[in-house]
Amino acid sequence: MSKKKGYFFVLDAMLALMVLVIGIFLVTSSYVNVPEPAQVSLLSDDLLDFLSDTRIGDLNNPYAGIGGYLWNHGEITDSDNSLLQQIGEFYSAGRLDTAERFIQNVSSGAVPQQYMYEIWMDKTRLYPKIPSSGHSASRNGTGLLLTSKKLTFGILNRTTSDIWGPYRAEVFVWER
Amino acid sequence: MGKVSRKGIFFTFIAIIIIAVFLLVFTPQADISLQKDTKAVGARIGAVDSYVSDLENRYFETVLRAATYKTILSLIYYMNSTGSYIPDFDASFSEVMATGKINGVPIDSITGKKIMENNTLTDWNNKIIEVSKDTLNANTTITIINVSASQSKPWNIDSSMLVNYSVKSNVAEWKRSALITTTTSIEGMHDPYYLANTNKAYTNRIKKSTVEFNQWNIAKVREHLRNGTYVHWENSDAPSFLMRFTNTISQSPCCGIESTVNPNRITPSDQRESYADYFFWSHKFANNCTQLYNITGLWDEFRHFKLDFDHVARYNITSQDAVRNC
Repeated sequence: MSKKKGYFFVLDAMLALMVLVIGIFLVTSSYVNVPEPAQVSLLSDDLLDFLSDTRIGDLNNPYAGIGGYLWNHGEITDSDNSLLQQIGEFYSAGRLDTAERFIQNVSSGAVPQQYMYEIWMDKTRLYPKIPSSGHSASRNGTGLLLTSKKLTFGILNRTTSDIWGPYRAEVFVWER
Repeated sequence: MGKVSRKGIFFTFIAIIIIAVFLLVFTPQADISLQKDTKAVGARIGAVDSYVSDLENRYFETVLRAATYKTILSLIYYMNSTGSYIPDFDASFSEVMATGKINGVPIDSITGKKIMENNTLTDWNNKIIEVSKDTLNANTTITIINVSASQSKPWNIDSSMLVNYSVKSNVAEWKRSALITTTTSIEGMHDPYYLANTNKAYTNRIKKSTVEFNQWNIAKVREHLRNGTYVHWENSDAPSFLMRFTNTISQSPCCGIESTVNPNRITPSDQRESYADYFFWSHKFANNCTQLYNITGLWDEFRHFKLDFDHVARYNITSQDAVRNC
């Protein structure tokens, strides 16, 4: 009789242990180690919003702002243009080098150091125009590369009402 | 013994149920999936909504302004090429703007200038449809119901476009109707009335005079004539800029503008007319020389220049510089 009791309790304890082990295994295995996309996604959206919502007239930048280098050299003429429109205008006029330097100036500091980014217009990479090998390797090796897209267009010449675009503007952001 | 056994089974079942509930409540997979989907749909709707807003508030207006300018320019060149007025301005404006054609013929082929090529409203609508599909995977359809041009100010053309459009993505659909309006300056454009009346021999661009209505004198009239500038008088009989396309020489309540014809640029330079442009070619005073004045104060530079009494008074020309024609 007492033998039977012992077996029963041992069996009971084993069953409970098995249930606990299975439970813990199921719970822990549910936590899949996925890279958190929210931060990178926010960065690409934020960078694109910054470019599309900031006007040249509101920019305090010695290279790209009003009274800056490009303004004084007549390369920027419309203070109402957003930064993204200005990039599109440079692209439509074939001034890709100017577009690259412009992007470099206005976006430096907008993205934390541990992230890398590219800016494309109409399926052409404007920044960096010629990527370094490190840049390409980082992009190709990243586990999570996110993009934000927007349409952009603008007026090339107010007198003749010539329009450029509409173009697809894209920002790619990834972690180094 | 039987009692003890039942108690154990009871506790085991309790443990199993608690663990099952624990697993169901805290399994993270379902929560993450739902949150992820909601975020993705929200982001997608936000992106397309931003595009729809841009389309209605910026794109249509920009395109309408550009197309208005190019259509007016094309119609001026059309008059320059044909030497004739446009019988139905509204119909021609609408056709050229939407299709680049006038009476079914491409207007660029008549004017010999590539102005409307790839610049019609239809072209611009097709471009945004293509790019939005490529960028946002959104299907845009745009139907232009009506376009028109009018004037409520002397120096501007107001154009409007009634458009129905829809944007359909895989998460939502927008269907809207919008009346887009914009304003285009006429300054710098050729006056079609001069082109049609002189068979292209005399062109004059619209340039607003800077002289205030009560500041006129003979010296300022000389400058006015020399520069071919235009003036808007309140309650004058002058036609508006758009009325000049159709040779509708009558009073425009809001927007009449006029210049003075330079006698040195027409043949013969001595004509019995008031040289206010709309009177000159409508021959209002051809048989009424008693109302005409030789503006002798300007004859050293503009010989035979004449004006009717009303204009002599408006330009504040004194009897010293004006002599009755007959």
